Amino acid sequence: MEFTRQEMMAIATGREIRDGDLCIFGVGLSMLAGYFALAYHAPSAISMTEGGVYGSMPVGGLPWGIEDNRISANATCFTNAIDALGFMCSSGRVDLGIIGAAQVDKFGNVNTTGFWTDPTNPHFGPPKTRLNGSGGANDIGSGCKRVVIMMAHDAKRFAEKVDYITTPGYLDGGDAREKYGFKGGGPVAIVTTLGILRPDPVTKEFMLDSYYSFSSIEEIKAATAWDLKISPEVRITPEPTEGELEALRSVDVTGMLKKK
Amino acid sequence: MPNKLITLKDAVSKFTRDGMKYASGAALPVGSDSIAFGREMVRQGRKNIHYFAHCNNQQANLFCALGVCDKIDGGFSGLEVYGFANGFRRAVEAGKVIYEDYTNLSMPLRFLGAALGWPFVPTITNIGTDIQDRSSFIPDEFPCKSKIPEIKDPFTGQICGVLPVAKPELASIHVTMADVQGNAIIIGTEWSRYELARAAEKVIIQADFIVDTDCMRQYPNLVRIPDLLVEAVIPWQLGAWPQCSVGIYDSDEEHMFMMNKMLGSDEGALDYKARYIDSWETHEEYLAVIGKEKIEKIMTNPTTHLIDPYRKWIKTNEQIEALMAQSRFAKPESVVCGR
Repeated sequence: MEFTRQEMMAIATGREIRDGDLCIFGVGLSMLAGYFALAYHAPSAISMTEGGVYGSMPVGGLPWGIEDNRISANATCFTNAIDALGFMCSSGRVDLGIIGAAQVDKFGNVNTTGFWTDPTNPHFGPPKTRLNGSGGANDIGSGCKRVVIMMAHDAKRFAEKVDYITTPGYLDGGDAREKYGFKGGGPVAIVTTLGILRPDPVTKEFMLDSYYSFSSIEEIKAATAWDLKISPEVRITPEPTEGELEALRSVDVTGMLKKK
Repeated sequence: MPNKLITLKDAVSKFTRDGMKYASGAALPVGSDSIAFGREMVRQGRKNIHYFAHCNNQQANLFCALGVCDKIDGGFSGLEVYGFANGFRRAVEAGKVIYEDYTNLSMPLRFLGAALGWPFVPTITNIGTDIQDRSSFIPDEFPCKSKIPEIKDPFTGQICGVLPVAKPELASIHVTMADVQGNAIIIGTEWSRYELARAAEKVIIQADFIVDTDCMRQYPNLVRIPDLLVEAVIPWQLGAWPQCSVGIYDSDEEHMFMMNKMLGSDEGALDYKARYIDSWETHEEYLAVIGKEKIEKIMTNPTTHLIDPYRKWIKTNEQIEALMAQSRFAKPESVVCGR
C-alpha cells in the first residue's frame, strides 16, 4: 500500500505507545498518531487531553481542538486543566506524551513560542514571528515518563540552539534535568518526516536511530543543522503494514495526513 | 431568591471599565468561551485591558485586532487546528500587545493561588526553560529572576519555582446552563472555570440555557460554580459562537477561518466589527447574523445526547423574558433579551 511521509511519521510515533500506557496527546497531527495506536496495537492504553477529556475516541475526523465536540462525544470523564496537566501529568502519573514542535535542538529542547531577529539579545523584545507558545507542552515535557516529539524534518527546524526553550528536553544535556526535580524522564524519541532520533543514554544528545525506506542518512544529515551523530545500530524503520495504515486512516477520517 | 438576569449590554457597561484586569473562561481556543461578552466589550469601546487569557481564542484575537487590550497573560496563543491567531500575532509582533508566556498548567495554578488567598504558588514545571528566564513585562532582566523565581523547598532543599497569583477584577465565564441566581453547570471540559470563578473579584455568567433551580437541586454535584460567587447572569444562546459549546453546538468552521483571516489586517478587522459586532442589537438579530441554516448545521453534532438529562428544566425565550422583568437589574427601558 502507498503511504505519505506524514502517515509514516504518525505510525512511527504511534508505535511508541505500549498497550496499557496512560497517554496524553497534544492538539493536531500528534493526536492522530495517538488514536491510531489505540485503534491498532494498544487497545488498553488510556487516552487523555490536557483539556481534561478522558477515555474518548474522536468521531468524524481530526478534532479542531482538545475540547471540541469530535473528541467530547464519547468521553468517559470531563475534568479540567489542573486535573489533566497537574494531577496526572506534572505529578508523574502519565506514561507517554506526544507533542509537536516548530524547532528542536540536539538535546531535545523544543521551541513553539517564536523566532527572534537576535535570540541571544538580553533584551527580550517582540518576536519576529510569534508562534503558539507552550499550551500544555511544557507541563507534558516536564512531567511525562516518556515524551515523543513529532515534527517535520528540515535544517531550519533542527537547530544547534533553539530561539526559545518552550518545553524542556535535556536542557544542556547529561543530567541537567535533575537540578529541577521534574517527575518525567524527558524525550525518548524525535519522530520526523524522515526518520527517528533517540538520545545517547549518557550525553542525552539525539542521534539518528533509524530512517525510512524513502529517506537516507545523507538526506537526514543535510536536514539537521547540528552535526548529527549516527547510531552504530542505525537501521531502516519498518514500513507501515496494511493493518497499520487501515487503522490510521480509520482515525484520520478527514485525511489530514494524506496531504503530501 | 435573588434573580440576577441581566442584558449583555448592561452587564458590560456596569461591570467592565478601561484598564481593568479582565479574564474570560473557558478560554480554550475552540471551546466555549464568553465570546459574545467580548464582542460587546469591543462595541462599547473598552481599551487598555490587561487580559488574563488562559488560552488565546477568538476573544483575544478580536481584542488584539481592535485595540481592546494591551497586555495579556496566557498559556497558549494559537487557534489549535484553525491555525495561528492573526489578530493576536500581528499585535504582538508589532509590540502593540505585550504577551507574557505561561503554560496551560501554570495559568490555572495562578488562578488557584488567588482563589485560596495564597501569596504565590509553587511549581515543578515551567522552570529551567525560557518561560522562566524570559519576561515580556520585564524585558531587560535576563535571565529573569522575578517572573518565576526559584526557591528551595524548606523540607527537602529541592529547587522549585514560584508563580505569581492571578487575580482578575472581573471574569466573564461561559457556561452551558445556569439558573437565575447564577448556579452553573458546565458540559465538556471545565478547563479553568472552577478556579477562575474563585480567583476573580467579580464573576459574570454567560449561559447558553437558563434552567430552573430544580435542575440544580437534582444535580447539585454538577454545579461547579455556585450562585454565591456570581454577580449577574446573561442569558445568551450561542454565546460561544463561532467556537463550540459541548452538547449544544459545534464550532462554525467556515466562520472560524473567515474571522481569523479578516482579523489579519486593520481593514479586515474593522470590516469584521461592522458586520459581526455593530450589526445587531437584540439576541434575535444576533441569531440572524449567524443565520438559520448555519445554526441548524452547528446544532446537529455528535454531542447533543449530553443535554438530554437537563432538557425538561430549560426555560423558553418567553419564560426568560418574564424572568428578566423580575430581575434585580431590570430597568423599565431595557430591551428584553437584547443588548
